[in-house]
Amino acid sequence: MAGHSDSSSSEKKSGEAMTDVPTFSAENLQNNMKVIYYSRTFMSITGGVIAGIFGFTGFVGFIFYFLVMTITSIGLIAKAKFSVHSYFDSWNRIILDGLMGGLMSFVLFWTFAYDIVHIF
Amino acid sequence: MAEDLVLDTAIRDWVLIPLSVVMVLIGILRYFVSKLMRSSQVPDPKIVKEGQVIVRARNLRAGANFIPPKSFRSRRVYFSNEENGLLFVPKGQAQNAQAQMFSDPNMAMDMMKKNLSMIIPQTLTFAWVNFFFSGFVAAKIPFPLTQRFRSMLQNGIDLSTVDVSYVSSRSWYFLNLFGLRGLFSLILGEENAMDDTQRMMQMSGFGFDPAKSLSAEKDGLDIIQHEWALPKFEHRAEEVLKKLIR
Repeated sequence: MAGHSDSSSSEKKSGEAMTDVPTFSAENLQNNMKVIYYSRTFMSITGGVIAGIFGFTGFVGFIFYFLVMTITSIGLIAKAKFSVHSYFDSWNRIILDGLMGGLMSFVLFWTFAYDIVHIF
Repeated sequence: MAEDLVLDTAIRDWVLIPLSVVMVLIGILRYFVSKLMRSSQVPDPKIVKEGQVIVRARNLRAGANFIPPKSFRSRRVYFSNEENGLLFVPKGQAQNAQAQMFSDPNMAMDMMKKNLSMIIPQTLTFAWVNFFFSGFVAAKIPFPLTQRFRSMLQNGIDLSTVDVSYVSSRSWYFLNLFGLRGLFSLILGEENAMDDTQRMMQMSGFGFDPAKSLSAEKDGLDIIQHEWALPKFEHRAEEVLKKLIR
């Protein structure tokens, strides 16, 4: 199998692009997916609280959410040392995965913080 | 109309926070209860055997490109051979397996338990929310929605001039229901809390497992084209060793 794990970082190499047929270690790929999911969830919760405290309303709040997601993506790409293809099987994973799931948590914590700070 | 209602602090203390706390606690409770209630079934040896055959076939598919073509083909014939291949299930037997799945009382009881443990807390909490927390404005959602959402979100409030952003506690309950999924997956380990739709699909799919997935695996195995991925490995090994020596 052409993937080996790097135990010092939390993301594991899951593919080798040097062979003719790209191979992926499914277990490592799944682990990387989990890492992305956890990071996005945590960032969306934090982003929600921040948006509520700042008092963003309406459209600005959603733009803030996508901003936070972009920062998360950039952070993840930087952690993968910019060689995305050796950790994930496509660009879409690291950019688009978990976007909608985080939205609900973001809205919940945004509403919560906004109400606590501004309305009550 | 964007008049700013000033809401009582008591609402925040006694509605929003307790509701969220209760939902988080119920989620945690449900997780532990489902762990405790997982009855230890004695696995049927035949089913386990079939499951293992499926796993082997899947591994063969996954690693097909790493073994020489001839050995891959011989393994494939071993699996999908018409007479005594492991994956070939005659039609009559296939139907039997399904019927047996459904009439097996243990399996049905398990499915019922899992479904109930999902539905009952949600129903109870919803009824509780409706009973205690209805008839007043509970929260303001920070983004505006169209008028059509009014009937859904402002259920207990009978004034029609209030901004749609001011919602009743029922909608706070629903917001919590969807939003706490992410939180549960963070605090409870893997995502095993609140994946209702996923879990139900899994449960309903389990009954058909043996018959259909065997033929599915057989088809998958027949389709696969063997591409020998390792012809250049000698060159690659040579390069790696050269790098090490330098």
